[in-house]
Amino acid sequence: MSVTELKERHLAATETVNSLRERLKERRLSLLDTDIAGYARSQGRSPVTFGPTDLVCCRTLQGHAGKVYSLDWTSEKNRIVSASQDGRLIVWNALTSQKTHAIKLPCAWVMTCAFSPTGQSVACGGLDSVCSLFNLNSPTDRDGNLAVSRMLSGHKGYVSSCQYVPDEDTHLITGSGDQTCVLWDITTGLRTSVFGGEFQSGHTADVLSISINGSNSRMFVSGSCDSTARLWDTRVASRAVQTFHGHQGDVNTVKFFPDGNRFGTGSDDGTCRLFDIRTGHQLQVYHRQHGDNEAAHVTSIAFSMSGRLLFAGYTNGDCYVWDTLLAKVVLNLGSLQNTHEGRISCLGLSADGSALCTGSWDTNLKIWAFGGYRRVN
Amino acid sequence: MGLVCSRSRRFREADAEENAQDAEIERRIELETKAEKHIQKLLLLGAGESGKSTIFKQIKLLFQTGFDEAELKSYIPVVHANVYQTIKVLHDGSKELAQNDFDSSKYVISNENQDIGEKLSEIGGRLDYPRLTKELAQEIETLWEDAAIQETYARGNELQVPDCAHYFMENLERLSDANYVPTKEDVLYARVRTTGVVEIQFSPVGENKRSGEVYRLFDVGGQRNERRKWIHLFEGVTAVIFCAAISEYDQTLYEDENKNRMMETKELFEWVLRQPCFEKTSFMLFLNKFDIFEKKVLNVPLNVCEWFKDYQPVSTGKQEIEHAYEFVKKKFEELYFQSTAPDCVDRVFKIYQATALDQKLVKKTFKLVDETLRRRNLFEAGLL
Repeated sequence: MSVTELKERHLAATETVNSLRERLKERRLSLLDTDIAGYARSQGRSPVTFGPTDLVCCRTLQGHAGKVYSLDWTSEKNRIVSASQDGRLIVWNALTSQKTHAIKLPCAWVMTCAFSPTGQSVACGGLDSVCSLFNLNSPTDRDGNLAVSRMLSGHKGYVSSCQYVPDEDTHLITGSGDQTCVLWDITTGLRTSVFGGEFQSGHTADVLSISINGSNSRMFVSGSCDSTARLWDTRVASRAVQTFHGHQGDVNTVKFFPDGNRFGTGSDDGTCRLFDIRTGHQLQVYHRQHGDNEAAHVTSIAFSMSGRLLFAGYTNGDCYVWDTLLAKVVLNLGSLQNTHEGRISCLGLSADGSALCTGSWDTNLKIWAFGGYRRVN
Repeated sequence: MGLVCSRSRRFREADAEENAQDAEIERRIELETKAEKHIQKLLLLGAGESGKSTIFKQIKLLFQTGFDEAELKSYIPVVHANVYQTIKVLHDGSKELAQNDFDSSKYVISNENQDIGEKLSEIGGRLDYPRLTKELAQEIETLWEDAAIQETYARGNELQVPDCAHYFMENLERLSDANYVPTKEDVLYARVRTTGVVEIQFSPVGENKRSGEVYRLFDVGGQRNERRKWIHLFEGVTAVIFCAAISEYDQTLYEDENKNRMMETKELFEWVLRQPCFEKTSFMLFLNKFDIFEKKVLNVPLNVCEWFKDYQPVSTGKQEIEHAYEFVKKKFEELYFQSTAPDCVDRVFKIYQATALDQKLVKKTFKLVDETLRRRNLFEAGLL
């Protein structure tokens, strides 16, 4: 068969696939007879009420000399690790705002960071296509720097996200610009499984975000520049369990819902969405119309402990608190006093749900706590 | 009571320790940030195979320690791989032309060389290549000299034949020597796909760092993915050095054979110029591969490229080369001003004629870049 014939066949196959995809989209839409908000309204549910003093900025963590790109809380104790354009990881005591570690990275172009479940180690990755691990208990050199304790090499594109497998310091999952996710064995530094890549069911563009299911750590979800989110089972690397369509832009952030049966996404199309992994359906779109202006992109999301609230950071500096049940914005942290002066690039909730931390391109992190007796529930 | 007192003392001590630790970290960050401020950061950008990594290697040779013997030896498998890849592209290309071209007979490899061709094509398709022996080199040379392969090479622009093809084919005997150690020139010609991001710190004035600016050059050619997802990491760099291979006006992309390489370069340059993170960044445009361009432009008219369709040749020889180059330069200049927002027009923009393989020219070019950036720094400091 000649090259010309192959090209023609490829073109025809692509057209067929695209038309099937459109038909699937139409069918899916016809089955979506309602969404969570519609159902909740019909049941007479009222939205969460939020006063300006219910969520207040109680600390500003200053110390980075460049944009903050990523942050993560420890699962115990109140510590935060942040990664910045200045080529540093800083570990903070969230209660006192003090820095406990400042790690100058071998490659300054860092994009993601994560705490290990025990809080003994931190991981980070970026443009060097490597995931670097640091043991916080190891001794520092003369200049006060920590040496890399392990380098996980194998990705062929930037490392966009990393997360330790819950309850074990020995495994970690990374997402990358090479369109794959990888499960790593930290003790050997080797890849246990590669998700996507040459497989048909993998992402067809850069993977931007991953989230491991807290209720079942064998399952994780990934978001990508191909506008989809995909659900994976670590035991079956060859194909995604499910692909979730709906977004019309890069899926920048994914996060599992507390019950592990749903997950949220945030995208360049300006929307957050909630998907159900049991039915494969989209349950809700969280979107605020901005007149004729192009919607700000969603950079990062997090759920409250009960899942009733969804925190979403945007490129225009807004940070909406959504009522997930009624799809209403109950508060915008971006409009409060003492807020960030740049895009919200990352956010995360403390393990006990009592505080939210936001990171921004203004080089600062801010900790938001619930006023009075109120907690994030 | 004593228990309560000792506990609160313990907490106070822990607090004091944490405060001291925080202060020490602050001090260290401040020192490091101060030191970083004096380093001028340069970002190398450009389409695939535009010569970014060759520029990078030249900087290492010119303003740093160069390559030691171990580094030179590490290029042996790369050079050998390039040889096998080249001969495979030529062999497979001749077969395709022999099938599809209307004048197909001249692309048919002679009977005595067909088996050699199949064997070498198989080797070239492997993931790991054998070391280049005298016997293999002899076979490659035989195939290279075949009339069909030479005819195919003449149409290299259609077949993704690498620029290093002729150089390596003419040096096969030396490359296959049992004690072969690559030369600096071999290293410059060697083509290996960059992975991740590589950086180098240098001073164009020489080793005496006090006598000139210190630069840190970043090559992100290894990131073949969505640039928009990481380009903002480089906000704040002193300058972007954009490499454009001007000889590629009649070539198509490696990944997409329907797309002209010059059109890809044009789109990328336009996109980079429009990035908000580079609003205050200086732009140094290297019109690279001029050596290939000046040979090609006399045989292949510039207007085969959509972007240059309004080009009118004026004469022949040296004058025509100059005219064609000025036309391309003007096109890039126009593109720069079209793609630059009115509030960014005062950012520095310079165009340099470049041949990344020419050490003297690269040295001269970087001296000019250094001069431009130093002048800009003086201007910003109000000293000019």
